[in-house]
Amino acid sequence: MIVWTLLVLSGAYAAWRLALGYPKPPRSYRCLARREAAFLEAAAEALFPSGGAIPLSGREADLPGYADSFLLSLPAHLRLQVRAMFMLFEQATLFFPANGAGGRRRFSSLAPEQRVEALESWSQSRFFLRRLAFTALRAVLTMGYLGHPVAMRSVRLAPYDFVSPVCEGDLLYPRIGAHPDSIRFTQADLSKSDGTPLDLDGPVHPDYAGDTR
Amino acid sequence: MSENATRGEVRVFAHYDRDFEEEADVAIVGSGPSGAIVAYEVAKAGYRVLLLEEGPPFTPSDFALEGSRSMARTMREGGLRSTRGTILPTMQAIALGGGSLVNSAICVRPPDSVFERWATGFELERTNRQQLDRHYDAVGDFLGIAATPEAVLGRRNTLFREGCEVLGYSSEPIARNVRGCRGSGECFTGCRNRAKQSMDISYIPAAIRLGARVLTSLQVQEVLHEGTRVTGFRGQVAEPLTGKLSHDFRVRAKFVVMAAGCMATPVLLQRSGNLANRSKQVGENLQFHPGVAMAGFFPERTDPQFGATQGYHSLHFLEEGFKLETLWAPPAVMAVRMPGFGHPLQQTFSEFPHMAVWDAIASTHKSLGSVRARRRGLDPTLTWNMHPDDVRILARALWVLAEIFFAAGATKVMPGVNGIPEVMHSLDEAEPLRSQPLQSSDLVSGGNHAFCTTRMHGNPRRGVVDEDGLCHDLDNLYIADTGIFPQCPSVNPMYTAMALAHRQAETIVSRL
Repeated sequence: MIVWTLLVLSGAYAAWRLALGYPKPPRSYRCLARREAAFLEAAAEALFPSGGAIPLSGREADLPGYADSFLLSLPAHLRLQVRAMFMLFEQATLFFPANGAGGRRRFSSLAPEQRVEALESWSQSRFFLRRLAFTALRAVLTMGYLGHPVAMRSVRLAPYDFVSPVCEGDLLYPRIGAHPDSIRFTQADLSKSDGTPLDLDGPVHPDYAGDTR
Repeated sequence: MSENATRGEVRVFAHYDRDFEEEADVAIVGSGPSGAIVAYEVAKAGYRVLLLEEGPPFTPSDFALEGSRSMARTMREGGLRSTRGTILPTMQAIALGGGSLVNSAICVRPPDSVFERWATGFELERTNRQQLDRHYDAVGDFLGIAATPEAVLGRRNTLFREGCEVLGYSSEPIARNVRGCRGSGECFTGCRNRAKQSMDISYIPAAIRLGARVLTSLQVQEVLHEGTRVTGFRGQVAEPLTGKLSHDFRVRAKFVVMAAGCMATPVLLQRSGNLANRSKQVGENLQFHPGVAMAGFFPERTDPQFGATQGYHSLHFLEEGFKLETLWAPPAVMAVRMPGFGHPLQQTFSEFPHMAVWDAIASTHKSLGSVRARRRGLDPTLTWNMHPDDVRILARALWVLAEIFFAAGATKVMPGVNGIPEVMHSLDEAEPLRSQPLQSSDLVSGGNHAFCTTRMHGNPRRGVVDEDGLCHDLDNLYIADTGIFPQCPSVNPMYTAMALAHRQAETIVSRL
């Protein structure tokens, strides 16, 4: 009886730990589960806090939204691996607890300073695979963070805006997914780049001119 | 010349609404630099050519400027492919034009010493600079290969030159297949300026003009053969970006050229009843040019977003086993290598306008691996292990990069190596790069050039193809990609792959 009770209690704890008690995210996602959104919000804030040299925090950069699109762009088996990585970080505090009270809570339930400490332990681990996992998580979120228009403009690295010349290939290929009938270029439109260096202070690409992705 | 020379065309996904069959004199699988050149040369000789590509053509409107989105669209496995053993990220493009769409257009002829190693180690008689220079010249003239002009080098390239000059290391502007570069630094996400002469806008339109038929969004799944003769191949239509498969197709051809790349060609051969593998070398001998990079920060602005993506290099240390280059990529991709997190990382990002990133690629002849077909699909399982001697080559290269940075006036460098300081402010502080023993797991490296998985060898028992790329075991199956390199070439491989393809095309035409 005691064994059964322990098993039931363990099962209930595991179910709660893995999936229950997560807050409803502020927006809906096409791919991310509630627990993943909560983890990504927490990780984004720990990795890219407000008040830094870039006028954009990880939370403001909507990194869960970015991760949602990123996951959708991946083949199924890689999507699964990336989601498993999110779960690993969210649950690993059970085995690598943060200091202080409640250090074994899920990553997203830790206090902000405990989250930083937990990530620090991954990044400085003597185990290669833990460091590698941290590098992978940081890579995914860094791509989303620094790819944000506000971050790109603040470091003066937003892509330039310029008109693409029309080459012979543009008379042959439609946009991806479109029918060749949609090609509007003709021989009369053909042009070439003249090799004039781009103006460092020229306008930025329209995708990077606004404040949202 | 074929009596039934065809009218050129290109087909995209929207064209396919049923199963179909095609026939050609020469059918080529893969539209990267090698496949495109064979297609052009055979079409020029007046024969019926079919060029098949699994990916779609990309127009400037299709290019994604953000690093991860660009990789997800243009690379197999979303750009997240890596090896087992020593974990090494690597990539393979899936697009019309193959890797030429998203590489930095570097065209370098290997030195004589590379071909001498190939000749003596692999029983080759005709694969040397003297024999190949004519083919390099033909490709170079067609693509306008020339040194990067001074006006579009940008500061991060000229600082590299200045550092090399101070130290007496030779360096030079990189020759590239580019016409009219404006310095947008966007080679890796696709050249919106249409300056880079990637295959999709150079050789392939020219081949179509000459009658080649280019069929995109087709995934070849099996090479068909009867005895020692290949009869063609079969496969399915693949939806762009999703890879969803639909209609079946079949192609019959007198000659088949596999130009699917060093990681896909062996998988297709393995999937086709272990074809062309009496030597047991198909999928073996996988080599890379593993690369390491270092970021340096200068008091002056470098404005790294401007300038040729990779505009300058040094071949000074080639005989020691490494080549040095300048490097740029979408900022978010560069940022992945930076150490730490939180406010210190954001501070580093804010200093990007003062940054330059330079890299080293190593000739790692002792580090070998393999390519294997998975139980399902056509993506490969890659296994590769970095030899300790090759780790030492990369560590030495990092030290030399630090030397060049400080000689050029950098105030700090970030080597990205585990176990040694993340930031170094002088060569004295960089000493651990020379003195501390490193392991492969300490390095953040990547392997973008891959070779040797269907290697060329004069002895049919020790290699898959002969010097013309013809499979030793078969009468009419050629391989034209970097898989046929007997060893890594020590310099960027595209130009050599194209020269070899140009020679192969001549041989194929002579047999038609």
